Amino acid sequence: MSEVQTDRTADAIVARAGARFDKWLDERHVTTDRFFAWLLAGQWLFGIAIALTISPHTWSGKVESIHAHVWLATLLGGAIISLPLLLIRMRPGHVMTRHVVSVSQMLISALLIHLTGGRIETHFHVFVSLAFLAFYLDWRVLVTATLVVVADHLILGLFLPESVYGIDNPEWWRFLEHAFWVLFLISVLVYGCATTIKTWLGFAQEVVMLEALAERQLDGAHGEGS
Amino acid sequence: MRSRMWHRRGSLSPLPLKKPSTRAARGVTHLEISMSARSPSWSTLGLGLAAVLWVLTVGGGFVAMLVYKSTPGIAAAPPASWPEASRIEPAHDKPTLVMFAHPKCTCTRASLHELGELLARVDEPARVVVAFVLPDGTGEDWNDTDLWHSAEAIPGVTVVADHGSREANLFASRTSGTALLYDAGGRLEFAGGITSMRGHEGDSLGQERMVALLNGHAADRPTSPVFGCDLGAEPKDQGGKP
Repeated sequence: MSEVQTDRTADAIVARAGARFDKWLDERHVTTDRFFAWLLAGQWLFGIAIALTISPHTWSGKVESIHAHVWLATLLGGAIISLPLLLIRMRPGHVMTRHVVSVSQMLISALLIHLTGGRIETHFHVFVSLAFLAFYLDWRVLVTATLVVVADHLILGLFLPESVYGIDNPEWWRFLEHAFWVLFLISVLVYGCATTIKTWLGFAQEVVMLEALAERQLDGAHGEGS
Repeated sequence: MRSRMWHRRGSLSPLPLKKPSTRAARGVTHLEISMSARSPSWSTLGLGLAAVLWVLTVGGGFVAMLVYKSTPGIAAAPPASWPEASRIEPAHDKPTLVMFAHPKCTCTRASLHELGELLARVDEPARVVVAFVLPDGTGEDWNDTDLWHSAEAIPGVTVVADHGSREANLFASRTSGTALLYDAGGRLEFAGGITSMRGHEGDSLGQERMVALLNGHAADRPTSPVFGCDLGAEPKDQGGKP
């Protein structure tokens, strides 16, 4: 085989490996979108169940009425998941879809934290959500999610600092303390995404070369047969 | 010939290969592909409109939620001195903390949780009373609620029933979760809530002030907003200033 032929074969394999990798990544994005469709719908129902269990009614003396949490869980929760579900239906695998899913997942975290009365345990949902979003193998999705958390802290810290930190004038580093744990997780997840991508690229190359080898042997067998 | 080679140890390849040119490596996204492939379609415009509506609806929903949770109830206006007509026995050798609570107010769960947290931070125990307000005409189920049991489970807390909102009226307290602190001499030191928002656990200014006073320190303010259900009491303003 001449050097020119070798170059052409190598280029063809490289191009085919790239295309195979893109196909796998597209499939991952679509399956992760579908996973989040179920997850978002499930969390919405979970939020309603929490509201109905923990705070179904509010009272004014002897007069009872439906608690605002029930309306918030139903209407606000439904609104939060509406756009990502629409995009997952209409544009599965699209880059915009996963960013909207990312924003919605973090908003669901905020809603659940409020529905459970700010329980410290519910704050774990933020970290679990970031781990789930890493299924996309797209570090930019994690950045979007982090920006939602930062925006939530900044806005609440500005208008209702007591709700975030328990005091009116928190020390400036309190924000950094919260941010540190998110960034700690994000950096590990981004590293995990990068190594998975690298492994997939290797798999793609090896699979394509095996295919090329098999095709060549088949061609050879056909040639001998004829 | 090739500027960048992509060759892994242990690879099956007999060839030195370049790194595959993936869309991700080229920085090309689905969005760019769809944008370059065709001009915005009606479905794209529709999705854009849906996105704008979504931002407004969700943003408005969160604002409404925060307004609801951060709007305090009616502040107490308790007497400056422990009312003699009260059937709640105050301590005479230590401070007395009274919290008025609606037995079915789910928002008060956070107040009771914070009361337990607060008492764990106090050096010298005070007399602590949680008075569950039972408006006239309420049944037996009103003094057998989970909140009632939660209050009873807090160490050092005495739980009493306030039949007919008598005590709530005497102490001019109208919102569930109102906490009043009287010193050993019966003088009002603090009146307000000990949560940062309605039904929201976590540190709060009211709790910090209460802890400071119970530990013998000064508080920056003798009041704090209270968040909870309306007790249904109709007290007269006692005009007490802590």
